[in-house]
Amino acid sequence: MENILEVKNLSKKYTGFELKNISFELPKGMIMGFIGENGAGKTTTIKSILNIIGNYKGEVKVFGFDNKKNEREIKEDIGVVLDDMFFPEILLPKDINTIMKDVYKNWDSDLYFKYLTDFNLPKDKQIKTYSKGMRKKLEIATSLSHHPKLLILDEPTSGLDPIARNEVIDIFRDFIQNEECGVLLSSHITSDLEHIADYITFINDGEIILSKTKDELIEQYGIVKCTESEFNKIDKQDYIKHKKTKYECELLVENKNEFKKKYNINTVDKISLEDLMVLMVKGEK
Amino acid sequence: MIGLIKKDFLMLKGNFKTWLILLFVYIVMAFQESMSLAFLLPFMCVVTMLSTFSYDSYNKWDAYVCSLPDGRKNSVRAKYIATILLILVTVIITAILTIIIGYYRTKTINLESMGETIMGAIFATTLLQSIMYPAIYKFGVEKARIAIFIVVFGFALIGGVLSKYIDFESIIQGLAFLENYMMIIIPIVIIIMLYVSYKISEVIYKRKEY
Amino acid sequence: MEIIISNSSGVPIYEQIREQIKAKIVSNELKSGELLPSIRTLAKDLRCSVITTKNAYEELVRDGYVVTIPSKGFYVAEVNLDVAREEQLNKIENLLDTVVTLAKTNNIEKKTITEILDILYEEEK
Repeated sequence: MENILEVKNLSKKYTGFELKNISFELPKGMIMGFIGENGAGKTTTIKSILNIIGNYKGEVKVFGFDNKKNEREIKEDIGVVLDDMFFPEILLPKDINTIMKDVYKNWDSDLYFKYLTDFNLPKDKQIKTYSKGMRKKLEIATSLSHHPKLLILDEPTSGLDPIARNEVIDIFRDFIQNEECGVLLSSHITSDLEHIADYITFINDGEIILSKTKDELIEQYGIVKCTESEFNKIDKQDYIKHKKTKYECELLVENKNEFKKKYNINTVDKISLEDLMVLMVKGEK
Repeated sequence: MIGLIKKDFLMLKGNFKTWLILLFVYIVMAFQESMSLAFLLPFMCVVTMLSTFSYDSYNKWDAYVCSLPDGRKNSVRAKYIATILLILVTVIITAILTIIIGYYRTKTINLESMGETIMGAIFATTLLQSIMYPAIYKFGVEKARIAIFIVVFGFALIGGVLSKYIDFESIIQGLAFLENYMMIIIPIVIIIMLYVSYKISEVIYKRKEY
Repeated sequence: MEIIISNSSGVPIYEQIREQIKAKIVSNELKSGELLPSIRTLAKDLRCSVITTKNAYEELVRDGYVVTIPSKGFYVAEVNLDVAREEQLNKIENLLDTVVTLAKTNNIEKKTITEILDILYEEEK
């Protein structure tokens, strides 16, 4: 399967923070959920892919092309929602259309105004009068109106209520009906991703600690709950992380069925992305 | 790039009322006396362009524009072109008003003195902008204001100190022969200033990380 | 076509999809030659990921219930219903085997088991 986005050994140093050898691949026709704590490096990674920050080591390929050498052509086909970065709020949504017509070759005014109508966004009011949710929807409408092939979305659902979040997720689902397209979607609202993502890439403290299909994660990984004495009998290599509380031990295991076969412990739960995140970050080896 | 130039003008639209009020004040004052008000409109350019920078930075437009095709390349250029266009527009308005008002008051049209006044106004405006823009791109709007203050204050201070040792008046007198060529020299100086300023801003912007 | 997905049943979603489509084929609700929804449409409608529906279809193809025609889509295969029934019977036998083992180890008579079976069967109806 061809990749729509490839990130290879991306590294970038700041004082106090570092991206360490970030690598992942997003095949065509797929949605990748990019998860991690705030400050883990999601936005920095996304900004590097888009060359908003430069001076990083490593390689980024979009549609098979180098993101620096072919920056212009690539960006014609990328739709972007960035966290908290957008048009100056003194502008009106209809101004965005006037401006973007000259920015993207493929800008589709009809489509843009259709999204505004669909999302109930007045086109004659200054953006600053919009609520946070309306702003997000406006950003999403803007990102979709030049028929992009790759969507790069940083926290596109933050600030939206559950109903609006569902609407937005449905738009991405529609978008992916075209198998030439792809979506990279960062979020810390993991339940959104559980429904829509094909792949999950998990970044923690500037490092990718996991990049797998979501089904693999949800079906194979598990949470074992046991007593301390049971825990002491378990081989260290049979779990990824563990967390002790007053009443029980929680273990993150990579293959719950094999674990069940090997040990006589029956409380092995299915895992949610949220559990996974918490145990990965807060758990101990 | 045309889209990005449009953006700055669409943003000015938001300040349109302020513009009208100032224009009105200008007309009233000009009818009463004084041509020096020719400075008012070009300075309005500085203020309004500065406000576009503030709005840009408030909504982190610079990061967003870098994600658009050729955004990083065109953003600075668009800002300078928008500035020049805005100066031209205000100069035309100023010129027309000055002619009308001058004719109303004295029944004559003194094109020469008007030309000199306006040229002086453009020079002051572009000088300020040429220093400000690179500073804004480098330090951001808020810090740039302080930086500009320091620069202006520093110049004044140095000038003050130097004037004790150097006889400026004789220098000016020595340069008096240039006076006849002022209307040629000043436009050239303006163009060079803007160009150098633009190049510096471009280099800063290219390396900037948002 | 109705497919009902439970997110909390513990059964992987692709398995739920696979089994329900299989059941519809065996019961002849889906007739051979019928075009199934595309991987992407199904994923969108069921609100699950594309990989999930892809897995389900791939297994249906592997088991011979569905055939794929490249760049056209997935069609219900000519299924030998006897073979399909045989497969289901095998499954039941395996499950009953567990029941019998459990009953024997606990000294429960066959009669009690058949009684339970009768009750369950009635309830189902």
